[in-house]
Amino acid sequence: MIRKEAMRLILAKINSEPIVSANGFISRDLFELKDKPSNFYMIGSMGLASSIGLGVALKNPKKKNFVFDGDGNILMNLGSLITIGITKPKNLVHIIFDNSSHESTGGQPTATNKIQLSKIAKSANYKVFQVKTKNQLVKILQKIKLISGPIMVIVKIKKGGVISKRINIEPTKIKNRFMDSLKK
Amino acid sequence: MKELTQKQIFDYLFNNGIENFIGVPDSTLKHFISYGLEKKKIIITTREEEAIGIASGMTMSDSNSLVFMQNAGFANSISTITSLVELYKIPLIFLIGWRGYLKNDAPEHLKIGKIQPDLLKIIGLPSKTLSQKNWKNSCVWALKKIQKNQPCALIVKREFYD
Repeated sequence: MIRKEAMRLILAKINSEPIVSANGFISRDLFELKDKPSNFYMIGSMGLASSIGLGVALKNPKKKNFVFDGDGNILMNLGSLITIGITKPKNLVHIIFDNSSHESTGGQPTATNKIQLSKIAKSANYKVFQVKTKNQLVKILQKIKLISGPIMVIVKIKKGGVISKRINIEPTKIKNRFMDSLKK
Repeated sequence: MKELTQKQIFDYLFNNGIENFIGVPDSTLKHFISYGLEKKKIIITTREEEAIGIASGMTMSDSNSLVFMQNAGFANSISTITSLVELYKIPLIFLIGWRGYLKNDAPEHLKIGKIQPDLLKIIGLPSKTLSQKNWKNSCVWALKKIQKNQPCALIVKREFYD
């Protein structure tokens, strides 16, 4: 499974719920597959999607909030797992598209095939699920509907695939329409 | 800055719409932070950039936020401030303790302390330095800034040794 295939399956379960997406190919895939006002494309500030998502989740308790993160991104900001672990947002679903590489910068390796991110997240009070196939992913997406968070779903994906187009919306417009969507 | 003044600053900002106080502790700001902790209004993060991310998420949810840190952490955060806070125009108030203001502060603070005013200028983050006398005016200034969707910084000088 490549990232875009996995993302398509996840997006089939998301309507107007907020998504904060990590910089690089993850945001680009999301933009191409399902652009909507409740997507916050984080085009800079590498590593911080989960922190922004935490802030949104804590202030929007009635909404289910998604973070679309990458392995390179979360490894840069492991401290975020600690703060999510102590604030325990029930409404946060943290998806990690894990290809054990920094694909957006040329495919350099990350350490997620040598260390177990799932164990780190578990010890930080997450409920953690790890999937490798489309069938497993669909089952887990169904299962997490009934579980309160913080939830992490690690989706093991292959490197490669078609590169999606760049996001062509002005950052302030991304913000403004995201903010308006949260009021609904 | 005196303990009483730091508490007054906290109360003033809280009573004027700042709902979230997030950051990494700093001894220059310790009375402000301790007071906020007593009131259960503070989230302490592992690094400053993380605090900026959380505060950005909260502010975009219509809940005004302040991020506190030492100037060493501010230096860590420059890329985040430029590529998140300034790029998207997220109106946060930064409260920054200024180590290295005194020329004989600890050696690790001297270099970054010396360029602190220049760092703020270079990244275009407007700031005011708080004093015992002017703190209220500076807080009013900061609150007006965020109403206009502009991030800004309030600086507290480290004027003591320990």
